Amino acid sequence: MVPPAGIGLRSQHLDELLRAPIRPVFLEVHAENYVRPSPSLEKVLRLRHDFEFSVHAVGLSLGSADGIDEKHLERIARLVERLQPALVSEHLSWSGFEGRFFNDLLPLPYTEEALEIVARNIGRVQDRLGRQVSIENPSAYLGFRASTLTEAEFLDELVRRSGCGLLLDINNVAVTAHNLGLDPADWLNELRGEAITQFHLAGHARNVLDDGSTILIDDHGSRVGDGVWSLFDQILQRFGPRPTLIEWDTDIPPLAVLLDEAARADRTLAQADPRDVALAA
Amino acid sequence: MLRSLRDTQAAFAAHLAGHGRPDLVAAIAGDPGTALQRLQLHRHHVARSIGAALAATFPTVAAVVGQDFFGLLARDFMAGTSLEDPVLSRYGEPFPQYVAAQQHMHGLPYLADVARLDWALNVAFHAPLEPRLSAADLAARPEESLPELSLRLPAGSSLIESAWPLNLIWQASQPGTPVDKVDPAAGPCRLLVFRRREDAAFAVLELGEAAFVKGLSQGDHLAAAAQHAAQVEQGFDLAATFGRMLGLHLLAAGTPA
Repeated sequence: MVPPAGIGLRSQHLDELLRAPIRPVFLEVHAENYVRPSPSLEKVLRLRHDFEFSVHAVGLSLGSADGIDEKHLERIARLVERLQPALVSEHLSWSGFEGRFFNDLLPLPYTEEALEIVARNIGRVQDRLGRQVSIENPSAYLGFRASTLTEAEFLDELVRRSGCGLLLDINNVAVTAHNLGLDPADWLNELRGEAITQFHLAGHARNVLDDGSTILIDDHGSRVGDGVWSLFDQILQRFGPRPTLIEWDTDIPPLAVLLDEAARADRTLAQADPRDVALAA
Repeated sequence: MLRSLRDTQAAFAAHLAGHGRPDLVAAIAGDPGTALQRLQLHRHHVARSIGAALAATFPTVAAVVGQDFFGLLARDFMAGTSLEDPVLSRYGEPFPQYVAAQQHMHGLPYLADVARLDWALNVAFHAPLEPRLSAADLAARPEESLPELSLRLPAGSSLIESAWPLNLIWQASQPGTPVDKVDPAAGPCRLLVFRRREDAAFAVLELGEAAFVKGLSQGDHLAAAAQHAAQVEQGFDLAATFGRMLGLHLLAAGTPA
């Protein structure tokens, strides 16, 4: 059984997690950090005895018109086989083109052509892994004129065509809605969300641009903001509880801070209507 | 006009590489000024994140020159060497050569060797942890077989020879270090970089020890490596060297791959 709340596993916290018992949480690793041998990978494999895991890939580039990089998929598959995680996820984005990798979650136009390409790429990944992969809604900083579907419609249609799950990143909904001038409630209302397997929560930064406007940056460098907690409440009322992860990737705080955020997520999940969908396992 | 996803991604890739792409700007919702501003966010993020990955792989170089100057070095390096692998720790193998070629820019004759050390530590960190030979393993062998014994360094190990005191420069870059100033003229060093259980590290070798290690890594038997070391350093003490290497868990059985 996957504990209700989890934390992103950072290398700074590996030894502390190995030393002392902590509250039950699941741990999420960024796949690309653990596909090579290293002392960190060996520690993760030891932690696997005591924790459930989620493997979160950032480099499969599911939106690439080039298709999937088979060599990279093979490395991810080997990690998934070794870790046997409860959850596997990737992003609705692209990051590679003609052999170059950009280390960013780049945006897609939400068109029929993109839908076909992403669904095909997800299918390839799921076939190789032999399991469902959950797709995360990205943080958007721009939109394409060519889009004919909303992001929520695009995600629901991907679920229908590929059988993937959805990783609903609530911070990303807040960031995208602000940056594209949308109401997060509208974004969510458009989502059928039947295939949601997990939630992500994180902090974001607020930058003021030269023209005085503000833009939210999905930097995962602070506590979850009040607006995102409030959105989490609304989402739980609508979709019910799912395993929920606290992400923190920059300015990493002590482990206790991450666990404190996870405890808050845990309490919020416990208050959600238990008749709603059971936790994915 | 961008007619396909492939066209869009080609234009986006060109934008990220610093080229102007009015067709991409026109494909983004909103007025052209805002569209360009939003596209620039991605360009900056890509440059910053790859630069941060390079700084994580070359932390001693970054500590020596400071983050700002490292950012300039990284920017020029990245312009000529694109990232090809989503596994960021694989990025930067040619960086030491690049640093050597840019000496006119940084003026530090030892900086390329510092970069070599950082890369060697990165390679060792990502090597599999192999079983090491122990004194008990050796004691179990007939004594007469020892000269013909095939030994090798563990996977990921490398020998770095430099005209500069890299070990002191590395120490001075560590957080909370007691070393506050290094004299680059302090002399040459020979470092054996290797994977330990918890991290990657280096051992400072004497001249003869380095020759011995070089012999082993070329596939020499124990006796041949020792003979080579004795030629390089008069008074080379095989027993002491062997004992030290066993103590540091620096030897594995078998011939080099």
